[in-house]
Amino acid sequence: MRRLAAFLALTAAIPLAAAQSWPSRPLRLVIPYAAGGPVDVSGRLLAAKLQESLGQPVVPENKPGAGGNIGVDQVAKSAPDGYTLVMSAIATLAINPSLYGSLPYDPLKDLRHVTLLVQVPNVLIVRNDLPAKNVKELIALAKERPGKLDFGSGSTGSTGHLAGEMFKMMTGTYMVHIPYKGSAPAIADMMAGRIDLMFDNLASALPSIKAEKLRALATTTRKRSSFLPDLPTLDEAGLKGFDMTTWWGVSVAAKTPQPIVDRLSAEILKAMDAPDMKERLHNMGSDAPSVRTPDQFAAFAAAELKTYTELVRRSGAKAE
Amino acid sequence: MEGIFHNLGIGFVECFRLQDITLWGMTFSHVPFNIIMCLIGVLLGTLIGVLPGIGPVATIAMLLPVTFNLSPVAALIMLAGIYYGAQYGGSTTAILVNLPGESSSVVTCLDGYQMARQGRAGPALATAALGSFFAGCFSTLIVAMFAPPLAEVALKFGPAEYFSLMVLGLVSAVVLAHGSLVKAISMVILGLLLGLVGTDVNSGVLRFAFGISELADGIGFVTVAMGMFGICEIIGNLEQKEKREIFTSKVSHLYPTKEDWKRIWAPVLRGTLLGSALGILPGGGALLASFGAYTLEKKVSKYAHEFGKGAIEGVAAPESANNAGAQTSFIPLLTLGIPSNAVMALMIGAMMIQGIAPGPQVMTERPQLFWGMIASMWIGNLMLVVLNLPMIGMWIKLLTVPYRILYPSILLFMAVGVFSISNQPFDCFLMALFGLLGYVCAKLGCEPAPLILGFILGPLMEENLRRAMLLSRGDPFVFVSPSKPISLGFLIAAAILLVIIAFPALKKKREEAFAAEDT
Amino acid sequence: MKIKSQQDFWAGLMFIAFGLFFVIVSQMHYQMGTAVRMGPGYFPTVLGGILALLGLIVLGGSLAEAGPDVPKFHFRPLIFLAASSLAFAYLLKPLGLMLASAALIFISAYGGHEFKFKEVAWLTVVLVISSVVVFVWGLALPFPVCPSFIESCPIR
Repeated sequence: MRRLAAFLALTAAIPLAAAQSWPSRPLRLVIPYAAGGPVDVSGRLLAAKLQESLGQPVVPENKPGAGGNIGVDQVAKSAPDGYTLVMSAIATLAINPSLYGSLPYDPLKDLRHVTLLVQVPNVLIVRNDLPAKNVKELIALAKERPGKLDFGSGSTGSTGHLAGEMFKMMTGTYMVHIPYKGSAPAIADMMAGRIDLMFDNLASALPSIKAEKLRALATTTRKRSSFLPDLPTLDEAGLKGFDMTTWWGVSVAAKTPQPIVDRLSAEILKAMDAPDMKERLHNMGSDAPSVRTPDQFAAFAAAELKTYTELVRRSGAKAE
Repeated sequence: MEGIFHNLGIGFVECFRLQDITLWGMTFSHVPFNIIMCLIGVLLGTLIGVLPGIGPVATIAMLLPVTFNLSPVAALIMLAGIYYGAQYGGSTTAILVNLPGESSSVVTCLDGYQMARQGRAGPALATAALGSFFAGCFSTLIVAMFAPPLAEVALKFGPAEYFSLMVLGLVSAVVLAHGSLVKAISMVILGLLLGLVGTDVNSGVLRFAFGISELADGIGFVTVAMGMFGICEIIGNLEQKEKREIFTSKVSHLYPTKEDWKRIWAPVLRGTLLGSALGILPGGGALLASFGAYTLEKKVSKYAHEFGKGAIEGVAAPESANNAGAQTSFIPLLTLGIPSNAVMALMIGAMMIQGIAPGPQVMTERPQLFWGMIASMWIGNLMLVVLNLPMIGMWIKLLTVPYRILYPSILLFMAVGVFSISNQPFDCFLMALFGLLGYVCAKLGCEPAPLILGFILGPLMEENLRRAMLLSRGDPFVFVSPSKPISLGFLIAAAILLVIIAFPALKKKREEAFAAEDT
Repeated sequence: MKIKSQQDFWAGLMFIAFGLFFVIVSQMHYQMGTAVRMGPGYFPTVLGGILALLGLIVLGGSLAEAGPDVPKFHFRPLIFLAASSLAFAYLLKPLGLMLASAALIFISAYGGHEFKFKEVAWLTVVLVISSVVVFVWGLALPFPVCPSFIESCPIR
């Protein structure tokens, strides 16, 4: 009996021991997108910072493909020892499950969400000579010309696209969706007057807004953005309850021991709160997220999944 | 005009500005840091350009954290140096071992490699370096003087214009082949089709992937190029039963002869102008620069019959064009804040992290940054030509290594490069597959260059075609409507070019028919 | 009907095969949509059709005009080079850069005419060292250097 107890105590201590010795070798941070995008850049920033505090190298690895699904799937199926992290995003956790019909991983069951890193609002921007100076006028214009207005997005199923669909549903208007490969060409076409509006994320739209090459009408979050404090929110403008952001964070495989998850979470939060990192993330358009702990992140991801599953279904967007 | 010199002055001053730098705990005072970063950038760029498979995008991404601790000027100067340095390096491998490092070097393989096989690698490399230098200087001036108005022109290009431009580009791709016209067109179309594998932009549907998730983002250019140009070439060389050395040991002059100089000055000029013009178009302009220049040269040169067999114009024109295009592709970035390609997107990322919002106001709010970058481009080109010319001797020596030792080394670098694209073994598998395809095609008298160009242009063409149709709500005449003169112009030019290409072939057929009648 | 040009005959067949392949797959799986709103199947079907047609023209030409024969296929270099790349790719993660490179070098060298073991061995040593220096230390590519069953190896 005593031997059994001792054995049980020993086995219980192993994860604790592993957690205490973690990290004892380099970590991998899988970035499921091509190099250069905002997720990649912020991931590399984070990796550099974590390296300092963890004392072990954190190696970023780009594994692009299938809107992020390939990289996330790999980590979901990797060994749950806390050495493989992934940059999980709204696309891979909340949108793709319904957009793609079937995914090789379950975003809630196969992953343990650690920390939300960035939360960026989307902004409703229109071309300068569009005869609508605020959201009300835009809705009226859209009702006047059903099917005549074009709205661009960075890709089918992106937050820009879905925000547009949500807008159409809530206002009962019909606008044509024009997908692009990334926001940049869409913004270029809008500046040239070829498309009328877009729900782009703040980071990529801000320079053009400040340069007055486009006009911003509202933000998609419930709270106003600190970057454009004079800009009303869509919620204020009449679309009650409209609250969409683009977000991403760090996740690990589901069965990763709790002590490691807690330690990771603490370290990442420490890195995010460091003044230089805070400033850099802020420069990307992100106000510090209010979702901090792993449990909050998990709850947030679950809620977003529910929202977007419904939205994708009603809008009819499909990727396969 | 004085304004330009004043601004360039600001730029050069910024480049050579002496700073106090703290590195590794030690402080170095009065160091022209920006110039040093430029040198590091172009050195690194050349290195990765020479290594097939590893490109500027991956390198710049890896160096982004390093740039956080640098001043914005230094960071951007270094990153820009990597970008156009890679163009120089990519030409080197294209000429020496028929491996295009970047899509812009594909065309250089055609004649450059043939020149190398004939013992003329030296003049080929020198032509590439000097042509690129001239083009770099010229296009930097263009950027300095005409950036804002050129950017406005670029904005006029919508999906219809891009589509028509690409049709023109495709027709020119046919000119790249020197064999049967019908087979060349077929290869172009096959390339177009292969380029469609992957996720469709407009609908999000995954095409021709057959459940292989690695194909979700399509087949990479590097994979196809390494397979069809690299592996195929090595197999071809190994086929020859005699132990004949691939590169003749009799190496003639290291530098171009007087005769060469006479032949290359005009192509360099034409290539530069064409490249500068096409580079300003975001969304695929610079890609067309090199093979547009090649096509143009082939059509106007009196040595047209030598093209494909080692004509020096076939190196001079595309090399100048791609470097000119590389410099002018900064214009949309610096003036409008719009990236022309993945590298520019990374630079935007680097700027935003530093707190600089890219856009038109950068020129006025941060003249040191803007003009410092432009001045650094000129200085970088100078450094590159000073670095590359002496290295020609070294490269020539490398070619004298027996082929049985050379080719496993080449293969290793290719495999590492292709693998590092997404760290999956699948890409190497695809490379082997494309090697097989290239081998079969070579046996059947079909050339790979048109296929590769179709491959690059295919997805872009379709994307623009469908977007133009979406925006015009299904009106197919939008491409030729008088309200879109640019689009109309390109399509007319494409039609004319097609006639010019087809005419000699038709004429030959008619002559043969007449000859048959006479007998 | 005599095949006057072997090369063109098989080239034509190849193009027809590819063209039909793309048309059939597109028609089976992807929507055509309309010319107004082209579906994912539109462009591939049209292009595949054109390709098949062109292949037919090439085929027809091979029956009418004389042309070259198909040169001999040399399978040895083809197979060995392909095998060496595949070996490298699939052995890299489990066996690390050093062994995977060695595999590639040996297999590809064996596919050539002259295989001198000592020479290839020396080449392997030189290349492995330079790859580790350039790729792993210099460019920080995330390749494992040693096999996965050896723990204490410098990965960076």
